[in-house]
Amino acid sequence: MAMAALRREGRRFAPLISPRPITAVRSPPLAPSHEDEGPIGVRYVSTQVVRNRMKSVKSIQKITKAMKMVAASKLRAIQTKAENSRGLWQPFTALLGDLPSVDVKKNVVVTISSDKGLCGGINSTSVKISKGLHKLNSGPEKETKYVILGEKAKAQLVRDSKKDIELIITELQKNPLSYTQVSVLADDILKNVEYDALRIVFNKFHSVVSFVPTVSTVLSPEIVEREAESGGKLGDLDSYEIEGGETKGEILQNLAEFQFSCVMFNAVLENACSEQGARMSAMDSSSRNAGDMLDRLTLTYNRTRQASITTELIEIISGASALEG
Amino acid sequence: MASNAAVPFWRTAGMTYITYSNICANLVRNCLKEPYKTEALSREKVHFSISKWTNGKPEKPTIRSDSSEE
Repeated sequence: MAMAALRREGRRFAPLISPRPITAVRSPPLAPSHEDEGPIGVRYVSTQVVRNRMKSVKSIQKITKAMKMVAASKLRAIQTKAENSRGLWQPFTALLGDLPSVDVKKNVVVTISSDKGLCGGINSTSVKISKGLHKLNSGPEKETKYVILGEKAKAQLVRDSKKDIELIITELQKNPLSYTQVSVLADDILKNVEYDALRIVFNKFHSVVSFVPTVSTVLSPEIVEREAESGGKLGDLDSYEIEGGETKGEILQNLAEFQFSCVMFNAVLENACSEQGARMSAMDSSSRNAGDMLDRLTLTYNRTRQASITTELIEIISGASALEG
Repeated sequence: MASNAAVPFWRTAGMTYITYSNICANLVRNCLKEPYKTEALSREKVHFSISKWTNGKPEKPTIRSDSSEE
């Protein structure tokens, strides 16, 4: 009886009054919060805290699972568009070639990234490659400028390459991606930026688990003329007949602009696919981690619960034996 | 190869080939019949926010939000 009263008094008094080093608190087996100090002095975490933690981890797991489903459906929608857009730039590469090793004075690096986060490491790899290109193309009389698409690359590049930024474009994915949108964008870039070579950095979508960072190079018409003199693919340009009363320079100008627009379209679509794919795998691994965490928390919870039941039993029994003896 | 040939009218008006082809595409879209026409026009909306930077300082971003190229 006395023990019961002591128990109800609460744990703070018990260590002072009771000869035994047990914090005695009355509690039903499914415990509300209490802090247990077992007979050996081992401290257990409160079950209420563990239960709250389990609830929040479970809801996080549900959210990440839902995000994965959303990303999967968005991916399906964009993927056909991206694959169809590949046919736009392939003839250009067949005609004009893709010369990443071209040595020009004015380089412009167009970095394509996403606006939203939680998509794994793809934006960091794009930024890393852009910085690498910048370094590769630096030297006397050479300059490299950035054109940035997307919030994530903006955040990273603004930190250390402020002076080299030419244009920043965001909110690209408000409407579903279409050629009109990207071509207006490409037009704006062409109007605002002087370039000899445009290097577009994006993540090419090979499959749901593989996104390869790629660089596509688009040359300005003057550089195409210059490279044509050194032979190779571009040197064969003269063997084409030109109809319609336009000159070669005029046609090269049109082609260069159109090539940029097509390459940009494909790049933006592929990057969007890669973003959704990366988000799928990131959310998937996060759901799995949440599941593991939940398992560990359940074990802790059960251990705590059993320990508190054991403690209570010990108290009752020792109390009873104290009364008898 | 000096280009003495007449430059096409749109080039002299300051348009790039991309602008020219977008206007032509819009003209073709406007030729569609009714249900397809509204679908096509709504599909081709443009929206992005562009901000030019000079010397490490951003200028005010302008939002290019036209329903489609005029």
